[in-house]
Amino acid sequence: MRDIIESALLSAKRAGATYADVRILEREVEEISTKNGSVDALKRSFTKGLGVRVIANGAWGFASSFRLTTDEAEKVAEEAVLIAKASSLTKIEDVSLAEVEIFQDTVHQKVEIDPFSVPISEKISVLLESDKIMNIPGVIVRKGNMYFSKEWKTFASTEGAYIEQERIVSGAGISAIATNGKELQIRSYPSSFGGDYQRKGFELVKSADFLKNAERVAKEAVALLSAKPCPSGIMDIVLGGSQLALQVHESAGHPTELDRVLGEEASFAGMSFLMPDKLGKFRYGSDIVNITADATISEALGGFAYDDEGVKAKRIYLVKNGIFVGYLNSRETAKKLKLEPMGAMRAQSWNFMPIIRMTSINLEPGDKTLDELIAGVDRGIYMDTNKSWSIDQNRLNFQFGTEIGWEIKNGKIQDMVKNPTYTGITYEFWRSCDGIANKDFWHVWGVPNCGKGEPQQVMQVSHGVSPARFRNVKVGVLR
Amino acid sequence: MIGKDKIIEILKKAVSRSKADQTEILVMGGKSYLTGFANNYIHRNVGNEDYTINIRLAFGKRIGSATVHGFSEEIIEKALKDAELIAENQKENPDFVSFAKPSKEVRQFDEKALYSENTANCDAECRAKIAKEVVDASKKLGLNSSGTVETETGEIAIVNSLGVEKYCVRTVASIKNIAMATDSSGYSKSTAVDITKINVEEIIKESTDLALSGRAPISIEPGKYEVILTPYAVAEFISHILYLSLNARAVNEGSSFLIGNFGKRILGDNITMYDDGLSEETIPLPFDFEGVDKKRVVFFENGVAKDVVYDTLTAYKEGRESTGHSLPQPSPYSPYPMNFVIEGGNSSPEEMISNVKRGLFVQRFWYTNPMDPKNAVITGMTRDGLFLIENGKITKPVMNMRFTESVISALNNVIELSKTKKIIYDMASVTVPYLRVKDFTFTGKTEF
Ligand SMILES: [Zn+2]
Repeated sequence: MRDIIESALLSAKRAGATYADVRILEREVEEISTKNGSVDALKRSFTKGLGVRVIANGAWGFASSFRLTTDEAEKVAEEAVLIAKASSLTKIEDVSLAEVEIFQDTVHQKVEIDPFSVPISEKISVLLESDKIMNIPGVIVRKGNMYFSKEWKTFASTEGAYIEQERIVSGAGISAIATNGKELQIRSYPSSFGGDYQRKGFELVKSADFLKNAERVAKEAVALLSAKPCPSGIMDIVLGGSQLALQVHESAGHPTELDRVLGEEASFAGMSFLMPDKLGKFRYGSDIVNITADATISEALGGFAYDDEGVKAKRIYLVKNGIFVGYLNSRETAKKLKLEPMGAMRAQSWNFMPIIRMTSINLEPGDKTLDELIAGVDRGIYMDTNKSWSIDQNRLNFQFGTEIGWEIKNGKIQDMVKNPTYTGITYEFWRSCDGIANKDFWHVWGVPNCGKGEPQQVMQVSHGVSPARFRNVKVGVLR
Repeated sequence: MIGKDKIIEILKKAVSRSKADQTEILVMGGKSYLTGFANNYIHRNVGNEDYTINIRLAFGKRIGSATVHGFSEEIIEKALKDAELIAENQKENPDFVSFAKPSKEVRQFDEKALYSENTANCDAECRAKIAKEVVDASKKLGLNSSGTVETETGEIAIVNSLGVEKYCVRTVASIKNIAMATDSSGYSKSTAVDITKINVEEIIKESTDLALSGRAPISIEPGKYEVILTPYAVAEFISHILYLSLNARAVNEGSSFLIGNFGKRILGDNITMYDDGLSEETIPLPFDFEGVDKKRVVFFENGVAKDVVYDTLTAYKEGRESTGHSLPQPSPYSPYPMNFVIEGGNSSPEEMISNVKRGLFVQRFWYTNPMDPKNAVITGMTRDGLFLIENGKITKPVMNMRFTESVISALNNVIELSKTKKIIYDMASVTVPYLRVKDFTFTGKTEF
């Protein structure tokens, strides 16, 4: 391994790079999905390769290959330099990186049960048993899925960094889709779009207790068909954790990515309303809103020991007491704004150049219980589990739909409602937050599928949240 | 490139070594490059060479799958072993009948249409020069450019133990620009097999004209408006019905609005849509990822629901033939229309605008998502060009708005279609005209 890395770094320097880093990654994945009583897909994947990132002529270049040999490493490094030189054709100023502490380190990840040591048959039987329980009249599609991955990544740079990291991830979820011929209703557990994901072993699946939740999931999906439609109007809402995680993702995570802010993602993902003139001044939310970026949370899907620029994981505030105070950054973007690099650069795999990604973006817990949040609502809706999402490219106007909702009247949970939706403007919404549940209700939700960048990269991020209350929200845009 | 002879030889050898009742090996890969620019300079420039090998083994009705990256006999051997191990632990899938059987009839197709040396040979300097042409033009107009120049040379090969043996090599090139002023932006993108067939000047003109005329937008109230949707907007709006409605899986899972409506007219009689992998109106693809030749599938003819696309799993179960629309298996999104077309009408975009008394011109939609899958109700934002049309003329730029609208209703409300169509490519190819649609519902607005 070392010889391949040295060949790449040496060859990059020889070809004219003023900076170079190499990432070698090896990843094994096992995926299981079941549908209506049978195993829909059972698949194992393996990938291995290297990527070389260079600065030459003051501009970026990146090349990669699946052939892990010293000869190929040299060739890839040379190609990266050639690409960087082509980039410099349009250069306005030289790329410059903020100084960071340089590390040599090896980091293993502890899990209770190595997910690859658990027989596939045991994994399948958890899903098929849940499937059987969900097989009730009205349910047309029962789904279950599991995901396990294990990776080993080596990062080295011409500045002397040499970091090896292990990463083990488990994820699992079930869902039931019910229909009466006219409409579809879905319920998922523990969360939608594949369930919950964490940097854990098979213990994640055990603690989720699918068999205990399967019946409720199926019954709720069927009950939603005859539930009354979510009312429309301006009212208070309480959001459950799994929906709030997505709200934090879209309206706090993405707009604080400094590459977006600086226009570097303008041709695809868009930009941000949180421009640098607002840093340290702008009222993003009410006084009780504190949002952190914390890659140090053990087991959080968005956590790690070092990012893909070799920057050590940190915890920083993005919003403190309601004021916007921080960005997710890279060494290059941090330098542009004279900020400290906080370690948010990650690449999907060896064949991608790292970009700024969310780590674990968290709404810090408040001091209420869920009952207290609901007791404070005269007329409103409790909503949970994301079903659909949409937000403008500056991250202001959003619209979310959830799988399920319950009316709240005079401080009490009442009837179930279907197709709940709410919409708003990001800062108005967060300014209307007047209650956040305490740390007993706090959970770090894994989001395994955040898409960003060109070429597009899918990243695993997470959000620690507890339920929260928002006043005077526009509810029920759907006819 | 590895080349047809070598790939097929290695795959046939591997298939013959397999102990399974049925074996399928799919190889996809090659070189892809992306030169990205933002703030009028190249800020991202990446290259990648990768091959993905997908193996599926069937022991009776037990299917195991494995995926590996790279290309060598050793790595294929590893994947075979992985897939065997997986299949041993697998349960029977009662729906499984067989992997693809060789197609009975093959439509004539000239494989030259898939590949261009001009694209394959466009190196880092060639891409950087195109990027420079775009950013220089933007700078001259005082605008800020952000975009990409992408090229891809890919090989696809499928061999299975039933006699399927397919190979093709294709190129795809895309050039995109978003031109921005402080309070406006304009979008343009084109995709072609041959990069020299992409008109860079036209991309510059379309994007910069929109940005220049979009300055100082006014805010208007949400509500129902007549709209002119460009092909970009149409493609984004209807893209969701490709996986929610127009395939056999969606029909089986209950999400398709075609259920119970085959043979009935449920869209406007001016709406005809189909999928045709061999059509030159799309970025062609002669066979699917199970090696089945692409058939032309008509979804709607003059508004009447006709058919949906199939892969082998969904087709054999119903005792019919696959239409050649499998994605790499196993996939929760398969079957999928990869070469979708909405037939055009007789108008020009200019004529269509001139027929609008009061309405909106929508260059593009963004971040669309289904709110109600069964009724194909989609929400999303406008982006990179929204204008008020008054008495047949574009009069004022407008701040972006949110729409919430059903594809079914909108395609019943189309008053006019343009003759010209454009290929919108993003993994799959969607070829659509400009549409003039009445009563399109906007439900919110934003601050820019
Ligand atoms: Zn995201």
